Amino acid sequence: MTETIDKYKQAFQEEAREILVELEASLLELNENRGDKELVARAFRALHTIKGSGAMFGFDELAAFTHKLENAFDEVRNGRLSVTSELVDLSLAALDQIKAMLEESAGRGAANRIISAEILAKVQRLTGKPENRPAETPASAPLACPAVASGAALDWLVRFSPGPDLMRSGANPLLLLRELKQLGSLRVQASMAAIPPLRELDPERCYIAWDMVLTTAAGREAISDVFIFVADSCELTIEPACEVPVEPQRIESVPEQASSEAASPVAAESNAPEKKFPPWGRRASDTPDNASSIRVPAAKLDQFVNLVGELVTVQARLVEVAARREDPEVVAVAEEIERLTTALRENSISIRMLPIRGTFERFRRLVHDLARDLHKEVELTLEGADTELDKSVIDQLNDPLMHLIRNSMDHGIEPPEARLAAKKRSGASIHLSARHSGASVLISVADDGGGIDAGAVRERAIEKGLVAGDAQLTEAEIFALILAPGFSTARQVTDVSGRGVGMDVVRRKVDALRGTIEIASQPGRGTSVTLRLPLTLAIIDGLLVRVGQAYFVLPLASTLECIELTRRDIEQANGKHVANVRGEIIPYIRLREYFNLPIEQLEREQIMVAETEEGRYGFVVDQVLGDHQTVIKNLGRFYRHVDLVSGATILGNGTVALILDPQRLVRDALRTLAAGKRRLGKTAAARGNGRAPVASGSNAGAVVLVESAAAGGGAGP
Amino acid sequence: MPVTLDQNENFCVLRLEGEIDITSATELKTLLLQGLASGRELRVDLERATDLDVTAMQLLWAAEREARRSGMGMALTGRVPKEISSAAGDTGFERFPVPGNPELAADVSREVRK
Repeated sequence: MTETIDKYKQAFQEEAREILVELEASLLELNENRGDKELVARAFRALHTIKGSGAMFGFDELAAFTHKLENAFDEVRNGRLSVTSELVDLSLAALDQIKAMLEESAGRGAANRIISAEILAKVQRLTGKPENRPAETPASAPLACPAVASGAALDWLVRFSPGPDLMRSGANPLLLLRELKQLGSLRVQASMAAIPPLRELDPERCYIAWDMVLTTAAGREAISDVFIFVADSCELTIEPACEVPVEPQRIESVPEQASSEAASPVAAESNAPEKKFPPWGRRASDTPDNASSIRVPAAKLDQFVNLVGELVTVQARLVEVAARREDPEVVAVAEEIERLTTALRENSISIRMLPIRGTFERFRRLVHDLARDLHKEVELTLEGADTELDKSVIDQLNDPLMHLIRNSMDHGIEPPEARLAAKKRSGASIHLSARHSGASVLISVADDGGGIDAGAVRERAIEKGLVAGDAQLTEAEIFALILAPGFSTARQVTDVSGRGVGMDVVRRKVDALRGTIEIASQPGRGTSVTLRLPLTLAIIDGLLVRVGQAYFVLPLASTLECIELTRRDIEQANGKHVANVRGEIIPYIRLREYFNLPIEQLEREQIMVAETEEGRYGFVVDQVLGDHQTVIKNLGRFYRHVDLVSGATILGNGTVALILDPQRLVRDALRTLAAGKRRLGKTAAARGNGRAPVASGSNAGAVVLVESAAAGGGAGP
Repeated sequence: MPVTLDQNENFCVLRLEGEIDITSATELKTLLLQGLASGRELRVDLERATDLDVTAMQLLWAAEREARRSGMGMALTGRVPKEISSAAGDTGFERFPVPGNPELAADVSREVRK
């Protein structure tokens, strides 16, 4: 029983959180369009729902608090109070307080009652009158009933006598009784005392009156709400029956009544109250619309996707076995299963897809608050908020986006005076957008601020020893420097940013998501940071390749093409690791050398060309085996620091293939090369020769790129 | 017609079909009065009824009270649809407005206790 109540409480908490997100959006929008009645009504409805449901599940403090805020919006709705920034800020603060109370009820943190009181005092000052309808607040609710405060189920005596016109107005008492039953356990007795002799009976009038005992955790208001549409044509009394507190155990211990009693059943005497607890949400059960979507715990969904992943693995095995047996019948079945598994995989992934709107909308508040604190005028515009992404990706996006926005607000956007001096609008804008691009999604944060001062970044980077004083860097390379840990051009650390932590967080999070970052900036015009992220983290399309006895998977999304590499090609390139692809020089990494696999001299090898942040690079493998639905498995704790591989997958024959991350492979190779070059450069300079020798071959361990590789791939996409 | 009254030598059968609500209440009252005036036993057939609203139930209840007082019988004939016994239970009737069918009584009692 307690479990059931807890479940409903949890459902309420979840629903309330969702409503609060909407409410926040409404409030912020209201701040922009203060005359918008629909927004006021929306805010009012949101508060009303939180209050009503809160009271129903025993969140009385929360309900009382929300009630007072609701009153303020009622005043606004009725034109007695106007929307001011004070009201909006106060409401936002109240909203945070409601959130804190919810968290507290879920056992996380504690809500500060002093803040609550302060907010309420301010609300009261704004509305200019003491709180309305005191009877509804727990402080003044029937104190004789301690159960009210503790949120336990309470018995209510409800008497409902329809007026003469109730039936003619189209009302149906039975439906009202059934609705009431949804609130808890209900014992009903129809009183027939008023029914006249048949001859005198008005057939269109209801003579029956009802006496009921309702055991529920819902408040008086929730009960009277059931009768809201017939309030004018009936007499209704609702009283708490305090002397009979309900012990949940009593319900369990009621024995089944013997069937012999059934012949003369008497409802009022039946002491077996409804065993079901209030099925939360009359709305959920009554409106067919809601039945079209269901709420599922994320963990169940993850489990589902995992199982589909396992199925994909087994299916791959089946395909392999079928191919080996050369039995056309088995092959046909295997193909059919492959088709279905692919569909199932796509379907299960799509279930986890959520629009990014929720995350985007959350930043309205951040922008609002920061703008106020920084004394800047900033407007946040959203685009493509309905773009769908895997839930696990969305969950990881909050932090990077927050840091990017804070950065824009603090460093990017100039104060209004400076903007006016630069002949710009005093109000700046931050544009948050999302769109699909193949198997990736592009999320960008763009501002129309001052742009990145490339010179300052370069200077600072040299100062910090991140780059050599004479290094020739492209603009993209300079911008990429701001992603380095601890890097900040801000001379002053503010509350908002400047510690150089933010962009590093962005980089690490995006790396963890196997994404990339592109930065573009124009002095005086603004900066845009674009995150390219994979749509999903669970299963990807990959290309299975073989190097010696080892198997690897390269994400299909980043591979461009596959070309042949012959001994002659290698000889023609003078031993440098570059290939000429239709006139374009593509540097490549030999995976055999890179992973120190036994050397084999092959006549033909294959190069997989992949698009990376650093440009196009090739990966040389023995053989490309074909595309592969890759279920990503984590490598486990011990291999967490190995960041060149983003996971592993199990092949049809049971062997494990590592999933390579082209991005990180290239980055690592370039880093190793640069380190080698600096070292070698120094020696060369000492010899009075400016040209660095070529570091190549497997003897140098991981240094497998040639100098031209770094030069060739310098300009990012 | 959702409400009809058939008579034979021994009894009258009041048959209710489909949804019986306020729109057929006047008709139901008239036929009940006719049935009671016939002096024969009144049997109520609800087998093909899908819904009885409060007005119908109170009419049946009032008619049954009169039939009982005058010493003539009024009882159900045939099975009563589940929806209707459950509606009677939810409406808070201690017993179904019209007695006479033990199977039905059991149904109603189950509804009431649920």
